[in-house]
Order: sequence, then structure tokens, then C-alpha cells
Amino acid sequence: MTNLQLIVNDRPVVLAVEPTALLADLLRGPLALTGTHIGCDTSQCGACTVLVDGQAVKSCSVLAVQVAGRSVTTVEGLATAAGPHPLQQAFSACHGLQCGFCTPGMMMTAACLLANNPAPSSAEVSEALEGNLCRCTGYVKIVAAVQQAATAMAGSAA
Amino acid sequence: MNAPLEAGRFGSGRSVQRIEDAALVAGRGLYADDHSRPGQTHLVFLRSPYAHAEIRAIDTADARAMPGVLAVYTGAELVAAGLKPIAGPGGFKRPDGSPGASPLRRALAHERVRFVGEAVVAVVAESRDQARAAADAVLVDYDELPAVIEPFAAMAPGAPRLCEEAPDNVAAAMAHGKPDAVAAAFAAAAHTVSVDVHNQRLAPSPIEPRALNAWVAPEGDADAGRLVVRISSQMPTGVRSGLIDSIPGRTAENTRVLVGDVGGGFGMKTGIYPEDIAVAWAALQLGRPVKWRADRLEEFLSAVHGRDVTSRAELALDANGKALALRVQGYANVGAYASGAGVAIQVLIGPWVSTSIYDIPLIDLKFTAVMTNTATTGAYRGAGRPEAIYLTERLMDAAARKLGLDPAELRRRNMIRPEQMPYKNPMGQTYDSGQFEKILDQGLALADWHGFAVRRAASEAAGKRRGRGIATFLEWTSGNSFEERVLVDVTADGFIEIGSATQAMGQGIATSYAQLAVDVFDVPIDRIRILQGDTDRVNGFGSAGSRSLFTGGSAVKVASERTVDEARQLAAQALEAPAGDIEYRAGRFQVAGTDLGIGLFELAGQQASRRIHVDASATAGGPTWPNGCHVCEVELDPATGEVAIVAYASVNDIGRVVSPTIVEGQIEGGAVQGIGQALCERIAYDPETGQLQSASYMDYAMPHADGFLGFKTVFDTSIPCTTNPLGVKGVGELGTIGATPAVINAVIDALDHAGLGARAEAIQMPVTAERVWRALHLKQLDPSPFSG
Repeated sequence: MTNLQLIVNDRPVVLAVEPTALLADLLRGPLALTGTHIGCDTSQCGACTVLVDGQAVKSCSVLAVQVAGRSVTTVEGLATAAGPHPLQQAFSACHGLQCGFCTPGMMMTAACLLANNPAPSSAEVSEALEGNLCRCTGYVKIVAAVQQAATAMAGSAA
Repeated sequence: MNAPLEAGRFGSGRSVQRIEDAALVAGRGLYADDHSRPGQTHLVFLRSPYAHAEIRAIDTADARAMPGVLAVYTGAELVAAGLKPIAGPGGFKRPDGSPGASPLRRALAHERVRFVGEAVVAVVAESRDQARAAADAVLVDYDELPAVIEPFAAMAPGAPRLCEEAPDNVAAAMAHGKPDAVAAAFAAAAHTVSVDVHNQRLAPSPIEPRALNAWVAPEGDADAGRLVVRISSQMPTGVRSGLIDSIPGRTAENTRVLVGDVGGGFGMKTGIYPEDIAVAWAALQLGRPVKWRADRLEEFLSAVHGRDVTSRAELALDANGKALALRVQGYANVGAYASGAGVAIQVLIGPWVSTSIYDIPLIDLKFTAVMTNTATTGAYRGAGRPEAIYLTERLMDAAARKLGLDPAELRRRNMIRPEQMPYKNPMGQTYDSGQFEKILDQGLALADWHGFAVRRAASEAAGKRRGRGIATFLEWTSGNSFEERVLVDVTADGFIEIGSATQAMGQGIATSYAQLAVDVFDVPIDRIRILQGDTDRVNGFGSAGSRSLFTGGSAVKVASERTVDEARQLAAQALEAPAGDIEYRAGRFQVAGTDLGIGLFELAGQQASRRIHVDASATAGGPTWPNGCHVCEVELDPATGEVAIVAYASVNDIGRVVSPTIVEGQIEGGAVQGIGQALCERIAYDPETGQLQSASYMDYAMPHADGFLGFKTVFDTSIPCTTNPLGVKGVGELGTIGATPAVINAVIDALDHAGLGARAEAIQMPVTAERVWRALHLKQLDPSPFSG
């Protein structure tokens, strides 16, 4: 076991982990943050996507020890005391989710996109979501949700 | 609670935000793998590396000695313990009249393995990593046998046999119709057309893999001593039945199945899997919670696949393009262990819709289910109807091409007319409603069908080849199970709880049912709670075959109305007034013309049980026949062969609509699955070794976010279903069924226009860039896949 310190959803965390443990295992197991999902073995589906220092990362492909000292944000950290994140509101408002299994990963990837590109075109959204699979929605309403969230965030920032 | 509760704008027919969403977008869903218990253990399967082999010996000694290992189980041990195999296709018949055949499908392979990925050994350990390491330490001595992967090869004399009961590897077969009359019609017909098609094998691929956690409830627990299984499933009661049938000593009383959020199903999570039995058995043996979550590799290897039928379909027409007779021979590859569902889908359910919305008087349909050394096939979104409709819609286009008619016009000449309703098709299935020409006309208008030439010219000016495809079609929904029971509990704390054995897997059942309850109770939607996924509370068929709303939703309406009626009687007693004088509105009973009244929830609080409980059932009068007109336009890039969907318009008749946003999501998401079959998805086995070549998302091409940005989706709600009280028709599979032929007809139209003519009809799915490039540049098309 290796001692590990990191920030998860703005809270400091100190715990011992197996050196072989994946970040996804750490989140879902000891930290009980089961909103991060595991859908494949080959980092293709993106259901496990989280932010590490603001960058979208597939947590099934990162060792827990690799995030020592860094800041991890999961879907549970999207909302604030003020309420749900605009992405959470927009995914629901646009029917951008059905079974909801891919949704946390989709929103984390989208959060990273919007931090870098506050007003993406639909083509830019689609390209950013290339690493996230959804089997239910056909993606159209997901893309619409990301753009609606972008509009909402631009409005609140203005 | 004296003031009336205002229902607001949440009843049926209105777009509402789903009540499921708040938890799911917050990451607070409860999927099967999210649940862990004190003392949790983990199970890992060792799977067969061979498509066909005798198991000579299994040495588990080293594995048992590995750190953290609690148990290692083999098939022989489970057989010795009395575990029974999963039922096969015995209800069907083989061509010689003997019962439908399959090798025995057991929780773990016994004596022989029959496909790559079949579970052979189960290892339970304190951690998943320990179980994996120990599985690697199990030594299995295999004696490899010749394997057979293709159905036509499997039927040839001398082919390797899957089981002794079927020397020809035919699990079952069915013939429908009048072969002699059809032959005569073909002989006399002015025109005949024929297509040979491989409807390729697909992986349903819900993003949540199968998972279950099983435990014996500890002393002190309300369930003490019972087996409790929390699983990702569309059919909780079916899972319980499967466990009872297989594991000695299991009964409905001592077995409880719980289902939380399900991360997609699409038919793949129906019924019991061998793995489920092994996990439940391990939990019973060990007295500790045992969890298994499938890797994606295991899903590709051992979850059911869909489709995989090779067909020759022929249509005879008169000089005016009126269809006279339909003839189909189909050979379905149902895998190593034929399942009842896998057989039924191909030999029975598909044929029910083969003549679709067309008035085709004669049929000759022969379907044969063939076993091979591949994974078992079962339900996948559409389940038989996509295969059948694909053939019919390909034939319609082939006929239009041969007769020189507009494909829409040829279809119009063959459509069943509204005055023919109810219409009994040649399979004996009765359509209650449908105005197919009206749907066609709306579809043509929505897609600007007649403006295509201008768009084609624009594409060609840009160096692309443009094609236009149409599918007009219907499908059958129900799963052949029409009754649903609903429990209603009005509670003193202000909620109306509605329990149903239908099971959500992402399709928003809770929201739709809540909207129906709002219609009756006239209270805000946040007063409604939907209970599902607990076999101690609600039991039934579950959700499959696009049946939930018209069966379960109808029962919600009936049970809710009965609840208000019964509550009215209670209110009459409480208010000492005749029930006939009591009006109900917005959660309150009122004596007409007075201010004397009582709230529904207050009334519940006055009952001895502090609730008003109603248990009611409803039975729909038959299946529903949703239908639609889907029009797709594609552009082919001659440089690369790539196919781009550039327009997709659909008009759909699903009867009355309860949740407009949800049904739009069903059509569009379903259509993308149909597009996936048309353009990219394919399960591929090595034809010699039976190794699965498409065993990850790197090799199995799923639709991604690019390329599907232009859906136009419209519903005609003016044609209600007449056989259920809601007037609704199933919607879950319609998009998938329509999309595949619409896309392929468009691709063939583009290739035809590029100079290939009717030869283009030979192209097979998935229409990859390579196939298109070869067709355009080398004039190479696929050889016929049919050799029956």
C-alpha cells in the first residue's frame, strides 16, 4: 500500500492505496463516489471521465498514485451550493440522457471543453465528445445540451 | 391540507423534465455495481479460449492456494450439486418434428466448451484483482475439437455437431404460408425481384455492462436467511424464475431480486444468464456477498448478440407494381446454445411483420435456426422485426427500380388502406389501426422528397454522390404479454406511490407513468413516486418488446381511476354525504355545492393503515402496431468511400403521445442504432478458429457523436391504438427498425446513380468506406452470402 494525498471535489483526501489501483477504483471504492462509471476495458467509452487539474481524463486509464497532489473533480463535484451546474441543468432540459450511465463522463468531458472553448459549434462539441460513447440518445440531444449549457454559462458570466 | 394542489403542466401529452434526471445528472444513480455490502467478495470467470473443445481436466489447486481466494467452482461441481441447465428451445420443432434442440446451457461449462468466452471456472476472492490472479492460475486441459462458425457450413454433412439431438445443427425451423400458391404466383407474375442479404450479427452494447451482487441476508435483517440479488436487468421476475429453476431449494419465497438504475438494456438484459446463476450459487455457498461486474470483453464474448440471419427474399408483382406474393428463406445463426427467445425472434416474431404495411396476399416463409460455435443470440432492439422489415423494404426498392417507378409510388400502390382496418395479415396477425398513406405523405413532405434532384445536383457539383432512401413500415410490440398489475398506495404524508413490474432501463418509465397518474389524480408530479425493481413488491413480465407503456401504463390509468373511486367511497363516509354528490379535483374531495370537503392525503391518514391501497390489473386487447415513414439522404465521398448521413426525416404513428420529449429521444436514439447496423457495426468471428475478432470498442465500431446532427422527427398523434385504454403504441424499437433500410436504400440509390444500376443491390452491411470505394472504383460488390 502507498500513502496518497490529493484533492477530490475541493476536499483534501489522505488514504492508503494499492500501487496497482486505478483512479476509477479509488473513486468508486474507498471514496464511494460511484457517479464515475466503468463501461469498458480499453478507454473507449469515456463513462469514467473525470477532471484532473481541469483536464478531462479517463480514470480507468490512470493509476491512483499518478494523481498524488493533484485536484480531481468528479460528477459529484459539479454542483455548487448555489445549485446544479449548467451542464446538469441542460442535460436534463434537453433530454440529453436516457439511462444516465454515460452521462457523468459526457458532462465531465463537456466541462473541460467549455473551460477551453466557451462557445463551441456543434461540430466542435461532437469532436470533443469523440471519446465518449452513448448507446441511448443518438448524441443529438447531448450536443444540444452542451451548447445550451455554454449559452447559460456565458449569460451568467456576463 | 385544505387548499387544492394544482397539477400544473405535467399531465400526459406535455413535455416535462424527467423525474429520473436529478439523481442521474448528480451522479447519484444506483446501478448494480454501485452497491457494495460489508464483507463484499468478488467473482471472476475463467472463460474458454477455444470455440469447441472437450474439457479433459481442471486443476484448481494452485488457484485455491492464492491469496484472498475463497472458492473456486467448476461445471462438474455445479452439476454434482444439482444445478439445472437453462431451458432451451424445446417449445419449437425441428424439421423432422422432434423438439427444438440445443446443448444444455449451464452456469459453467461441463465436459465441453462450445464458443470462445464460455464461462468454465468461477473464482471468488476478497478482491477482484485476487480473483483475477487466481483465475489465471487455474489449469484447464482442453482437447480441441473442429469448430463450425457459419450456418451453411454447420448444416453440411460431416460438420462438427453442437449436440447429438441435432446431427444437422438445426435447432428449430418453421414454415409459414402457402408454398404452392406462392410458386404459382411467381410463375405467372409480370415482375419478380430478389435480394440476398446477410443481416449481420450485432452487439447490443448497453454502456453499463452486466453486473450483479448476491447475498444471503444476515440474521437481524428483515430478509434474514433469504437470497437477495441486486442485478442490472429488464426482467426482475424472470431473473428470479431463472434462479428458482436452476438452483435446488430456491423458491419465490426465499429469493428476492432487486433492480435499481439500469444503464441500458436494448433486449440484452432480459431473462437469466449462466453467470447470474453462478454468482447466486457462490453467495449461497459462502454466506457472503458475491459481486460480478462484466468487463467489456466479457460482454462482447458472452452477452447475447442480436440479428445474424442470412436470407433470400423474393417478391412477385403484377404489371402495375402490385405485390402478389412474398417468399423468404432465412437461416439464422443462433449460436452454440439455442435459446427460446433467440429462436422465436427469427422463426416467428420476424415473420409476423414480414408483409408490413402492404397488402400482400400470399406468403411462403421458411426460417431455420442453426447452431454454430459462437455466442448465443437473443433479443436486440427490434428482435426479428428489423430483419424482416429490412428485407421487405429492400424488395420494395428493388421492385421500384425494376419497374422504373418512384419508390414512394410503388409503396403507395401496395399499402393497406384505412378502410381495411382491422386488417389480418397472412400470418394471422391483426392490425387494429393505421393510416399508412397519410404517414407516407407527411414523410415525403417533411423530407422534401420531390426536391431531391436539386440537392443531388448540389452534391454532385461538390464532387459527392447523393442518394435518397425510404422505409415505410410497421412493427409489432408487446413481448406477447398483455396483462399488467399495478399497486397504488396513497399515503398520509402526501405521496401517491405506484408500483409496477415493468422495468426502466433508461426509457423514462417513471416520468411517463407519473404523467398518467397526474391525469387522474390531478396533483403535482412531485407527489407521484414510482416503485419498480423489487420482486417482493411487484412481479410480471418486465420490460421488453416496447410493451411497458401500453400494458403497464394502461394499468396505471385503470388502477389510479379505481383508487379515486374507492377513495370517494371513503370520503363519503368521512363527510357523511352520498358518494354521488362528491366531486374530486386537485387532490381534494368536495361535497358538491358546499365548502365541505377533505384532502386525499388527509383521508389516507384517517385509515387504520394510514394509507389507501389499491391493487388492480389491466389487460390490453392485443399488440400495438406503431408505424412510420423514415427518409434518409446520404452523401458518398468518392475519394474515400465514406458515407455521410446528410438528412434524416421521420413521421411516426405511435398513437397518442404521453411524453413528447421522451418519444423523440426513443426514435432518434433508436435510429442511430439502426444507422450503426447499416454503416459500421459488425460482430466478426474468425471463420476457421471461431476467435472473436471484434471484442472491444476498438474493434467493434459503435456510432460516435459525429455525423448525426440533422434529425427531423414528427409524430402523427391522430391515429390512436384501439386495443388499449391509453390509445398508445409502442415506441422503443421503431427508430431502429426504420433506419437501417432507409440508410441502405439511400446508399444503393447513390451507387445506382453512379452507374452501378441494380448491381448495387448486392452491397452488404455494414456499408463501410471500403465497400463503397470498391463499388465505385472497382465495380466490386459482395458475393451473395446466401447458399441455402
